[in-house]
Amino acid sequence: MSDESTTYIAPEPKFGYPAGPKLDQQIKARHRRGQFWYVLLGASLIVSILALIALLYTIVNDAFGLAAVEYKNDPTRLVVEQQEKVMLADRDTVSSEDDRELAAGIMNDPYAIGFFGYAYYQQSSDNLTLLAVDGITPDAGNVEDGTYPLARPLFLYSDARVLENNQAANVFINYYLTHVNEEISDVGYFPLSAGRISQAQQTWKQANALDLPAGQWAAINPDGVGGSLSIAGSSTVYPLTQRMLERIKADGFVGDTSDESVGSTAGYRAFCVDGAADIAAGSRPMNQNEFASCRKIGRLPLEFAVGTDALAIVVSAQNDFLTAVTADELRLIFTTAQKWSDVNPNWPDQPIKRFIPGTDSGTLDFFVETVFPIALDELPQPTLVSILADNVSPGLGRRMESEQRFFADQLVFFSQEQWAEACDGATPYAGCTLPPRAKDSVLQLLNENVTEPNIVAVWKLVPSLLNRAAIEQEALEKYPAASLQFTSWVSTAFLRSPQSSTPELAGVRTAVLGSLWVVAFTALVSFPLGVGAAIYLEEYATDNRLNRLIQTNISNLAGVPSIIYGMLGLAVFVRALEVITSGTAFGAVAAGATANGRTILSASLTLALLILPIIIISGQEALRSVPNSLRQGGMALGATQWQTIWSHVLPSALPGILTGTILSISRALGETAPLVVVGASTFITTDPTGPFAKFTTLPVQIYQWTSRPQPEFQNLAAAAIVVLLILLLSLNATAVLLRNRYARRAA
Amino acid sequence: MATQSSVPPIATETFSAESLTKRPRIGEALIQVFLFSCGIISIFTTIGIVIVLAEEAIKFFALPQVTLLEYFTGTKWQPAIGYFGVLPLVLATIMISGIGMVVALPIGLLTAIYLSEYASPRARNILKPLLEVLAGIPTVVYGYFALQFMTPVLRSIFGVQQVQIFNVASAGIVVGILIIPLVTSLSEDALSAVPRSLREAAYALGGTKWETARQIVLPAGLSGVTAAFVVAISRAVGETMIVAIAAGSGPRNFEIGKDSLFGFIFNPFVAGETMTGHMVRISGGDLSYNSVEYLSIFSIGLLLFVMTLILNLIARRIVTKYREVYE
Amino acid sequence: MTLNSYAQNKHLAVEADKMSVYYGGFRAVKEVSLQIPQKAITALIGPSGCGKSTVLRSFNRMNDLVPTARVEGAIHYHGNNIYAPNVDPVEIRRRIGMVFQKPNPFSKSIYENVAWGARINGYKGNMDELVEASLRQAALWDEVKDKLAESGFSLSGGQQQRLCIARTIAVKPEIILMDEPTSALDPVATLKIEDLIQELKENYTIIIVTHNMQQAARASDFTAFFNMDADRAGYLVEFNETNEIFTNPKHELTEQYITGRFG
Repeated sequence: MSDESTTYIAPEPKFGYPAGPKLDQQIKARHRRGQFWYVLLGASLIVSILALIALLYTIVNDAFGLAAVEYKNDPTRLVVEQQEKVMLADRDTVSSEDDRELAAGIMNDPYAIGFFGYAYYQQSSDNLTLLAVDGITPDAGNVEDGTYPLARPLFLYSDARVLENNQAANVFINYYLTHVNEEISDVGYFPLSAGRISQAQQTWKQANALDLPAGQWAAINPDGVGGSLSIAGSSTVYPLTQRMLERIKADGFVGDTSDESVGSTAGYRAFCVDGAADIAAGSRPMNQNEFASCRKIGRLPLEFAVGTDALAIVVSAQNDFLTAVTADELRLIFTTAQKWSDVNPNWPDQPIKRFIPGTDSGTLDFFVETVFPIALDELPQPTLVSILADNVSPGLGRRMESEQRFFADQLVFFSQEQWAEACDGATPYAGCTLPPRAKDSVLQLLNENVTEPNIVAVWKLVPSLLNRAAIEQEALEKYPAASLQFTSWVSTAFLRSPQSSTPELAGVRTAVLGSLWVVAFTALVSFPLGVGAAIYLEEYATDNRLNRLIQTNISNLAGVPSIIYGMLGLAVFVRALEVITSGTAFGAVAAGATANGRTILSASLTLALLILPIIIISGQEALRSVPNSLRQGGMALGATQWQTIWSHVLPSALPGILTGTILSISRALGETAPLVVVGASTFITTDPTGPFAKFTTLPVQIYQWTSRPQPEFQNLAAAAIVVLLILLLSLNATAVLLRNRYARRAA
Repeated sequence: MATQSSVPPIATETFSAESLTKRPRIGEALIQVFLFSCGIISIFTTIGIVIVLAEEAIKFFALPQVTLLEYFTGTKWQPAIGYFGVLPLVLATIMISGIGMVVALPIGLLTAIYLSEYASPRARNILKPLLEVLAGIPTVVYGYFALQFMTPVLRSIFGVQQVQIFNVASAGIVVGILIIPLVTSLSEDALSAVPRSLREAAYALGGTKWETARQIVLPAGLSGVTAAFVVAISRAVGETMIVAIAAGSGPRNFEIGKDSLFGFIFNPFVAGETMTGHMVRISGGDLSYNSVEYLSIFSIGLLLFVMTLILNLIARRIVTKYREVYE
Repeated sequence: MTLNSYAQNKHLAVEADKMSVYYGGFRAVKEVSLQIPQKAITALIGPSGCGKSTVLRSFNRMNDLVPTARVEGAIHYHGNNIYAPNVDPVEIRRRIGMVFQKPNPFSKSIYENVAWGARINGYKGNMDELVEASLRQAALWDEVKDKLAESGFSLSGGQQQRLCIARTIAVKPEIILMDEPTSALDPVATLKIEDLIQELKENYTIIIVTHNMQQAARASDFTAFFNMDADRAGYLVEFNETNEIFTNPKHELTEQYITGRFG
């Protein structure tokens, strides 16, 4: 320090700082600036979070939603028909469209059971016992609110133009809607609530272009009204309609009426296909196909709810063991069980006598649809096979069976002799040796050859939820033959089905399996190499030029774009080492495999090189965190360096190494570009069988679907993304669990 | 054991001189050789990449119809009919990376400042894994996002006439979103490495939180932040799936003077295939080895490799320099 | 001269009144009351962990930066409690500066290191003059006048610490808090800093935490001795003129500490 600076005391500089109110202002201004930027910082963080939300939103929005599907054969119909066929085929089953006949049959046999409309039960309630279903005995309350499982609404259908031209029909419906609730309980059904009746009245008012406020009703006096009126349909609605006809005639109606009890389906046919009936009566709502038929002949069906029926499950009054059944018992009683004791060992060892309505009756359909599962994939395999057998030509059936049999012990389309001859012949069928088909495969055949679904339009999730009514309207107008279904594009079928060019049948099975194979081999190759390199660099490498070069090189490799690895894989593994990667060197090429070098092995080796730097770097970090004292301790006991590493250093670095490895595996799982370059197949439907198989992976599949212009493929891509993200999430969760578990143990 | 009475006898054998000499341990040596080979594989990988790319690229440039001059100055890329100007692909790559950077750098940096200077430890514990989730989503999913979300959004803002279905802007913005977590995490590391005492000094002089963050902490961590930016650019340049899905499937060939500069050549709302997008599209199709297309994608690959390598080396340099300041 | 008589003549710079500091549930400092005289050097001494640094950092609300810290009681400064809710810590810190244990120059040029605080606090005068004056006052000007544009890191440890003092006095504080400012320095650099502190006393009130009893005895006018009670909370044992503390301690603990029997 010089003399000057030790003695020199600087003069006060001019006082230059703000003071008093100015200081206050200055500080406030600075805080305001800080506040502004703080808001900006938070906003930028929110942008990232919003991006994440938008991404997930887009995926979920596309992975679920309404789809309009046209079937060549409606699967629900197929199931119901099949089930009815089974029920009617039994020799102990009596079937009649006349419910009185059924009631009479049951009355006299203590081991009989049957079902029909509630009205018929009431007529003979002295001789019949009404059963509770799932603990609920039908009464006005539980039928109206739908808690009784076998309750159903009753409908009349007509058309605005019919009502305009046929005065008799118009007046009759008006009269029906005016007085039905006064008669219905007496007939044996349950009245509608005021709200539902007024809804039906509203429909009538609209059809007549009457602009009356809601709740106001214009009852027409039928006195003197005449004309011709034809009603056809449900035997359930029939007694009610009969009652209304009697009453309207008593009130002076002079029309010429015909009322046929032919069953709902026949009634809808008469109204929609033949156009013969003016009014159709139904005990189930009209379905999409019937609606479409109606539109074809220029009728737009108007729906009038008139009451609620409950299906009565009855036994004879002489029956002393039954007062209640469950839905499960009902299923058994009306299908496979032969004797009562088959259903419940406490019940008598006597054959079950069944009395059921015929196929033309809506009652049977209603029973089947309510009591049995009606989704194809819920049916047992034999049922599926019989549906298939009923709906394909014998030639096609034999081709399917020759590819793979349906049952191990039974033939469906072939006779035993034909089969034996073919299998002993020079060119036996593939089906001779293959195990029988799984249920999935039968389902797939059904979808491809019988139901043949065709998605004609799709809607995203949010509009599906918010604008359901508008979508239904649009679907009805544009795709009258299609049924509108809420579709989860991610489903078990989606996971189990292979790739297909028909979006409704396509799945990710091939891709998921491909991904798993590729990732497994990648891990198998990269884990030992990566950990080995990490050990070398951390434990053995001295600080020389070569080792520094290796280290620098590894960090540079981590920054090389993944597609470059794809080019490397293409030139080296796919082309140069084709003999090895295609499996020809090992004689391992399966018959018909034309993968060249574009195999799972090539893909795995490419991805292994890609994630190697990441594994090495994370492995090094894990090894570095092992305290040196551990190494010295091992050495001091006379262990060699490798012994020390193997028994002391590696075990305590292992959780870190595994975490890093799992994270890089998840990177490999999501990798797309290099696999496209090394030649993931664009379209394969067979499961990969080993390292030399051609393959596709989940991300590649997503890429291909995303590149297709049709909207359904975007839904598929979204569904596949959901699957991919779930796979990744579970991998990462494993890593986190592993880390936490070992971290706790170490602590 | 505690009651053991007799003391074991002290070993009385003498060591022979030989027993202390170094013995060859064959097992140990083999293991070391194996471990060394593991380490050296990375070198072979690099050499492999360089050889493979260079070999095929040389074959490409040796083709009579290809000239280096046209390659770097031509504005049309149509190998099938003899146009070999790589500029349209490079231009799309630069535009998308540029748009990505405009999105990612400010958001990523500001988020990093928030996380390192403002967020409470609890908030950080929630937010950082959230960003990791963003970083762990495969790029093909981002591609889907660009096509199904960003493009419709852009089209509804700027008009269906203005914005093509495949466009550079949508891909660029989503590339930006993809690298936000990268920028954030690297920048946050750099900012967190700034010693606490520096912040305290700034506060003790009457600095506000923002003044301290912006004028003291950020300059101190600047080299790390810069390195993060460079790494991010390299990542954007090499990004493939987003651009392959959302940016377009054909090079934006143009003619200077004929095509409108901002209406077409630099228009972000028009489709444009990048280098990576082109490589993945060509190799995804049925490709016959040694065809012009096959060789051409290796030339593009080499160019891409060199570009990203230079960027990564720059980043490493900056980081090394920044380490010196603090150690 | 007793403290009381001295304090009657001198004005108080700042006064702690039954101040306790908590970190979460842990009470680090217990009901400290301390009157710091103006334009004098007050040393805070005591065994490590006795909370003297915490007390020091309470005077300019540096403890606010620790999320779990909480202060009870009051610190009076110009008639205001600096912990009152309407008081802005930014203004407090601008008027009560601080020098830290380890030199911590900003990663900026020497010039900018000094100018930064002045700039953010709205200094309107001639910046070159202020920088020069501050560096001169910190006895650093001659060593750095030719390399003002160089990084603050290019200086030696002692120089860096004087740079930190220069940047503190550049914002014209009334009080300078020093948290063991010489503990990271060699003896020569330490001596220079001690000389500097003596000079600064002319214009500034200085509160210094030191581990080094000789330093306290040599350089301070007043000394506060802190100790730690059974549940590890620091408390004030004795506060008096430095002379008195070291020659005629009132408290037995103080005597034991200055004679090196514990701490």
